Amino acid sequence: MAMVHTGGPRDGIELHVQRLPPPAGHPAAATAVLLHGLLTDSLASYYFTVAPGLAAAGLDVVMYDHRGHGRSRRPATGYQLESFVTDLERLLDRLEITGPVHLVGNCFGGTVAFEYAIRHPERVAGLVAIEAKPATASWATEIDGIFRRMVGELIEHEAESMAWITAHRGAHTARLARSAARLVRATTIARDVPGSRTRGAEQVRSVRCPVLAVYGAESELAGAGEWLESLLPGARSVVLPGQGHSVLAEAPGPLLDLLLWWLLDPGGTPPSPVPGAGLGRGPVAAGADVR
Amino acid sequence: MTIGEQTAPPVADERSVLADIAGMLRTMLDEYGVDDIEITMQTRFTEDLELESIDLVALAGTLEARYGQHVNFAEFVADLELDEIIDLTVGRLVGHVVRKLRAAEGGS
Repeated sequence: MAMVHTGGPRDGIELHVQRLPPPAGHPAAATAVLLHGLLTDSLASYYFTVAPGLAAAGLDVVMYDHRGHGRSRRPATGYQLESFVTDLERLLDRLEITGPVHLVGNCFGGTVAFEYAIRHPERVAGLVAIEAKPATASWATEIDGIFRRMVGELIEHEAESMAWITAHRGAHTARLARSAARLVRATTIARDVPGSRTRGAEQVRSVRCPVLAVYGAESELAGAGEWLESLLPGARSVVLPGQGHSVLAEAPGPLLDLLLWWLLDPGGTPPSPVPGAGLGRGPVAAGADVR
Repeated sequence: MTIGEQTAPPVADERSVLADIAGMLRTMLDEYGVDDIEITMQTRFTEDLELESIDLVALAGTLEARYGQHVNFAEFVADLELDEIIDLTVGRLVGHVVRKLRAAEGGS
């Protein structure tokens, strides 16, 4: 599958969609919609990590590039969280996916998932947030800080920043950073995302579906799991030892195990990084901290 | 599936598959305003062609249109680590396609 127009009165948009069906002859156990993060991210982060494993296990997997990202269209304006949520809503309608879906969101993709679950509780069967939190006031402040740092370093001193990234993070990361800089320069995204409407604890509480929140132990977001568990009775958080923010890229194996457990066999034995389930399954989950 | 410029049936040897894939890559690079680039078995997608991971996803679609579903790119990359995908050479992909085409010819 390739480009799909979301329709809509004026603000419809063409998005790049990839769908991995379950193996031939197997009816889909459920539909999982995978939502990527901001700026350097695209659906490739799932396509090359957990998506094939989810499809092979019997899920109908839907991935798309958010507006402005990957191979989707890049309008000059319209990057408030609400627009991303509307894109998801219209895309599912366009793909005729009407039943409740499982949303899996990485970073900002998780924020989109929470917002969608607040807006359409009846359309969400479950939510997996990877290194993500809902659009609270503190989220908006943090993301504003990230954009300000980025504009300061990457946009205003692009040559030096790129040289540093190439030397320390490699050519591929530098290429992603360059395309993120293009997105920030060409659009209002750096103003729009932090300016999105935020949600208070009361509204976050209206998320009714089961929530699995996954964080890296070394990530600044790691504390969000406990907060979510205190707020949402249906939430469970998992902290992966030895991991930072890039859980999806760095620990796809343990993450896939977690997703398969949560999506297909929640009554079964959870994989090892879940507290109380023992330690040491899989090379990454066993990480330096556990040894 | 749509019929591209390559209408001749695929041939399961390294030279023709390399020519096919080089053609797909030139079309893609053309969109980025890059032309006249030599593509060999040793060419790396990221380092040499400056393609991003999302471009490889698009290439997967083109490969499927050309060779059919049995040349399953998603399955091929599922066995690779992210670093290996970033370091992927044209030759490694050509090898995969040739193997799959031969398997299909052999009826196995």
